[in-house]
Amino acid sequence: MMAFLRLLARNRLALVGGVMLSLVVLLALVTPLLPLAPPNVTATGDRFLPPFSEGALLGTDHLGRDLLSRLLWGTRLSLAVGFAAAIVAATLGAAIGIIAGFYGGRTDNVIMRGVDMLMAFPYILLALAIVAALGPGLFNALIAVAAVNVPFFARNIRGITVGIAHKEFVDAARLSGMSNARIILTEILPNVIPVIVIAMSTTIGWMILETAGLSFLGLGSQPPVADLGSMLGEARSALITNPHTSVVPGVMILIIVMSINLLGDGIRDALDPRLKSGALSRPMAATRVDRQGAVPAATGAGLLEVRGLETQFHVKDRVYRAVGGVDLAVKPGECLGIIGESGSGKSVTALSVMGLVASPPGIVTGGAAYYDGDDLIGAPYARLRAMRGRNVAYIFQDPQATLHPLYRVGDQLIEAMQVHQPVSNSAARAKALALLRDVRIPNAEQRLSDYPHEMSGGMRQRVGIAMALANDPEVIIADEPTTALDVTVQAQVLSLLDDLRRSRGLAIVFITHDFGVVAQLCDRVAVMYAGRIVEEGTTREILEMPRHPYTARLMACVPELGQGKRKLASIPGLPPVVDRLPPGCAFADRCPKAQPVCREGDIPLDGEGMRRVRCLFPETGLREVAE
Amino acid sequence: MTAALQLTGLSKTFPVGRKLFGGASGRVKAVHPITLTVEQGETLGIVGESGCGKSTLARMLVGLLTPTEGRIEIEGAALDTADPAEFGKRIQYVFQDPISSLNPRKTVRQIMEAPLKLLHGMDRAERGRRIAEIFDSVNLREEFLDRYPHEFSGGQAQRIGIARALAAQARILILDEPVSALDVSVQAQVLNLLADLKREFDLTYLFISHDLAVVEAVSDRIAVLYFGSVVEIGPAEQIFSAPRHPYTRLLADSAPVVGRPLTEPEAKGTELPDPLNPPPGCAFAARCPRATEVCRDNVPPLEPDAGAGAAACFHPLAE
Amino acid sequence: MGRYILRRLISAIPVLLGITVIVFAIMALIPGDPATAILGSYATPENVAKLNRDLGLDAPAWQRYFIWLGNMLTGDFGTSFSLNRPVLDEVLERFNGTLILAGTSFVLCSIFGVMAGVLSAANQYGWADRAITFAVLLGISIPSFFLGMMMILVFAVNLRWFPVSGMWPIYGDRDIWALIDHLTLPAIALAVVATGVIARLARSAMLEVLRQDFIRTARAKGVHERGVIWRHALRAAMVSIIPVLGIQAGFVLSGAVYIEIVFQWPGVGRMLVDAILTRDLLLVQGGVVFVAACYVLFNIVVDVAQSLLDPRIKT
Repeated sequence: MMAFLRLLARNRLALVGGVMLSLVVLLALVTPLLPLAPPNVTATGDRFLPPFSEGALLGTDHLGRDLLSRLLWGTRLSLAVGFAAAIVAATLGAAIGIIAGFYGGRTDNVIMRGVDMLMAFPYILLALAIVAALGPGLFNALIAVAAVNVPFFARNIRGITVGIAHKEFVDAARLSGMSNARIILTEILPNVIPVIVIAMSTTIGWMILETAGLSFLGLGSQPPVADLGSMLGEARSALITNPHTSVVPGVMILIIVMSINLLGDGIRDALDPRLKSGALSRPMAATRVDRQGAVPAATGAGLLEVRGLETQFHVKDRVYRAVGGVDLAVKPGECLGIIGESGSGKSVTALSVMGLVASPPGIVTGGAAYYDGDDLIGAPYARLRAMRGRNVAYIFQDPQATLHPLYRVGDQLIEAMQVHQPVSNSAARAKALALLRDVRIPNAEQRLSDYPHEMSGGMRQRVGIAMALANDPEVIIADEPTTALDVTVQAQVLSLLDDLRRSRGLAIVFITHDFGVVAQLCDRVAVMYAGRIVEEGTTREILEMPRHPYTARLMACVPELGQGKRKLASIPGLPPVVDRLPPGCAFADRCPKAQPVCREGDIPLDGEGMRRVRCLFPETGLREVAE
Repeated sequence: MTAALQLTGLSKTFPVGRKLFGGASGRVKAVHPITLTVEQGETLGIVGESGCGKSTLARMLVGLLTPTEGRIEIEGAALDTADPAEFGKRIQYVFQDPISSLNPRKTVRQIMEAPLKLLHGMDRAERGRRIAEIFDSVNLREEFLDRYPHEFSGGQAQRIGIARALAAQARILILDEPVSALDVSVQAQVLNLLADLKREFDLTYLFISHDLAVVEAVSDRIAVLYFGSVVEIGPAEQIFSAPRHPYTRLLADSAPVVGRPLTEPEAKGTELPDPLNPPPGCAFAARCPRATEVCRDNVPPLEPDAGAGAAACFHPLAE
Repeated sequence: MGRYILRRLISAIPVLLGITVIVFAIMALIPGDPATAILGSYATPENVAKLNRDLGLDAPAWQRYFIWLGNMLTGDFGTSFSLNRPVLDEVLERFNGTLILAGTSFVLCSIFGVMAGVLSAANQYGWADRAITFAVLLGISIPSFFLGMMMILVFAVNLRWFPVSGMWPIYGDRDIWALIDHLTLPAIALAVVATGVIARLARSAMLEVLRQDFIRTARAKGVHERGVIWRHALRAAMVSIIPVLGIQAGFVLSGAVYIEIVFQWPGVGRMLVDAILTRDLLLVQGGVVFVAACYVLFNIVVDVAQSLLDPRIKT
């Protein structure tokens, strides 16, 4: 709760709204205590006094009544009715929505049919019909406004409830012996309340507008009592001659509704967990680059060469060093594997090369990525864009999410070509067809006009590969391309990638967490831990004799097929969080061989040529690991 | 000795699509009738690829889904009610996603207390004692009890999930992909913990996973599921090294193994059969190199072989 | 596609029936009877009873419902006692005015709302975003009737750019230019709120989409940022914007009631308010049912548009 208020206060606009609304509410509350003229006593002699008149600060209306007094009493009424309508509508709507969403099936069907029926009316028709039936009056207007809003709440809350009711913790609660009523109260409701509050805070303003509207039409509060809407309605006939009688209540409504909306937005932002983490920011076209210190020079070690790459995520006041100085190089026709657990920085390394790390919050803070000698990290957007997909192409993890759901796969392939080359539609189509055949998609001709959702996961990933090949790039960066696939499909995709690399001389950077995959596909491997490479070498060297204790222990954890039931090796503890990296070796806390010196200073990645390890006490043989 | 868990002809059919005036336009058989026995103290592994019906099966076993047909017997007593609380005392479930299986707005203590209070009617002091015992056996510190789920890593959250399942004092646990959301180094910690708990509390496990190596490492026997049916069942140490069903062999050959060269294990079309329009015969026939006419027209029964296993194939592979 | 439209039309039938039931039920709640309203409170009980019998009001409610429904299906919505002409004629004539006003506003708010939302999202936290966000906040906070009144004051009375009220000039040609002249102020006043709501929603839908993996794919294949925003992101965002356009159409229709009153626009909304105040219930019933039915049909159009956009919707 405190955290919520603090978050709210940090939002300056919400604070302004909150202060404005508090002032208005305070004024409305103390109105009976203020020395005001009686709001409903007419004095025809003092009609239409202008503002700042003697004894009438805001002037008088067509019956000579003090506008200030009427304004404050009217505000009181409007606020009370608006809030009451909102609470009634939210309570009823939420109850209906939760019941429909939780029970589902027939209950849901019947309730939602009814809700649909009510929502089939433009809302005012329903409100007018209700007022017509009940007769004009403020209380009836309140009922009408609340009633037309119930379906909106019900539908909104039902949607949220359905999502929550299918969460695993609800199943777990059932298995803990909870009854439905108890599940609704203790599992569903606490998770729905923030949504109800958000929905309420964003609709209260609107409800105040609506009740004011009905009063404006003469269907709400009846003379002589006035709320803000009926004040406006009565003033309308004098709009041209005495506009101040209209402006005064109108501006008051504007102030109230605006402050409620500001506050409501603030509440929404404070309650929405995605906004808290800044995850609702729009990623820019290319990752922000803010390099500190000197840019390391290219050594010509490969077609694509990454030197000293550092990428950070700045979330609020925390700095996550996702990549903390990585050197990599890959030659044409070579496949380099990057292996690591989640959070090791392997994907961020790969995405940094072409500026595809979401930014905000990502920033490249150091290093360089050379493609054929040209630095991509500092390159202007136009140059980067021209090289994306053309020279360096990507294959991503989840083929379901990475293809555009609303375009045919053929069109997506054609687009990939046409953004780089002036090819005619028919030529591009022919090439797209050839690409689909290259990635061994059966019935390629028909598949061109399929949408992604019409294909299986394996077929979609083949389309992803075809798209990466569309412009004959020299380098392909594959970010866990088979992780989302079943084993039998994974085997096909891997062998396809292997064939393509050999037949086309592609340089592949292959990111994975699976040693089995690395062993089958990659020539060389770099092992990452907590944002840095801890060991690299040829696949054979690493698999046969890992030298970093982390690599050795990680490999021992992986169960291998064909060894039967057994106890597995494990690594105690957890990887460090990259916003609080310890000095020295990041693995020291989990390493049985760690010495005080391991925690002292930066440990270099040492070794001869391409076989290097970042450890002061590297393993010397397999026997040591087995102990 | 009675079996810990006995399934007889258990199946599940889902209605799909909606016609204009109510009624379903089609039916999908997610689980074809399955008959299985899990012995006391055994770990039965269930493997299969996505869409093979393994999660549907698991959810039926704990009462979260009502079976369309068939019966479930736990330690000799039938459990055909649809009341999960009835199931809860005898069989428990550990979920795949450790974070989403914990209510984000409850403390760990509140989560742990629910089964103790509701299934066993323990009073406050008793609950506190029991929670302390359980936390001790899953290697969690008691100070975690007053924290909220989002403060935990995946591995810790999964231990909490296991602790909750233990609190119900059921003797059978359904483990539905319990480590597939975890990193390798943490995965091994959880698997070893599960093995220790099994010994300590004399539990029976049904371990569901898509990862052959993991299943093999923890199971006594393994059942292979394809398209809603058990196609092969056998001892863990044999089933992948000497598969009898061609699908089992395809699975075993597809798993990436260090030291085995990369080959495409299957050249034919690989699309799964359409659940709305299932083939009349063996579901694997279209992908099977050994398929003949008889396979395309008849469903092969699950028949015991010479050893301890059984395979549903007209042309099983030789030993 | 034809089958889909047919199916949606058939499934609208129960909704339309439901609307008539709801309207009839609400009207049946009314205390007192229309005969008294027609004849005035000084009428003798005999006269009231006779009129009730003549109007068929002494039958049970369900019978009256079916009679009313049957009459409506043959195009007979009854006769308005206050205007002394068939309800349907009056409603059709008035609805024409509402359609011009609300239709124009709907087009305006759809175009400007979506554009503003996209620009806002594409320049998140930039000056354009801030300016649009502020304008949107003002737009959704101001009562449309107050805005209309202020627009009359400024643009019609003080600046004399547009006429104060009405749909046609009292003297002169009733041509398209005269209509545009009269339509401009009310259409804008009516569009402002909906523009704000649509802009907000379009902004958040765009932000949501821009974080999706397929946007990263588009960037990775080298699509220009302009193409990423307008071709990839907007298209996907439209999937969640279009249903809101459908809902906002209802809000525009609703707001038209106020605007018609403020601008003396001869529309169905003003007719309904007058009918309520004179307790001309047949006119209220007929008007509500007719407009609601049109809105249901419009929503079918929205659904069809949605299914054309999104191939994942089964047609």
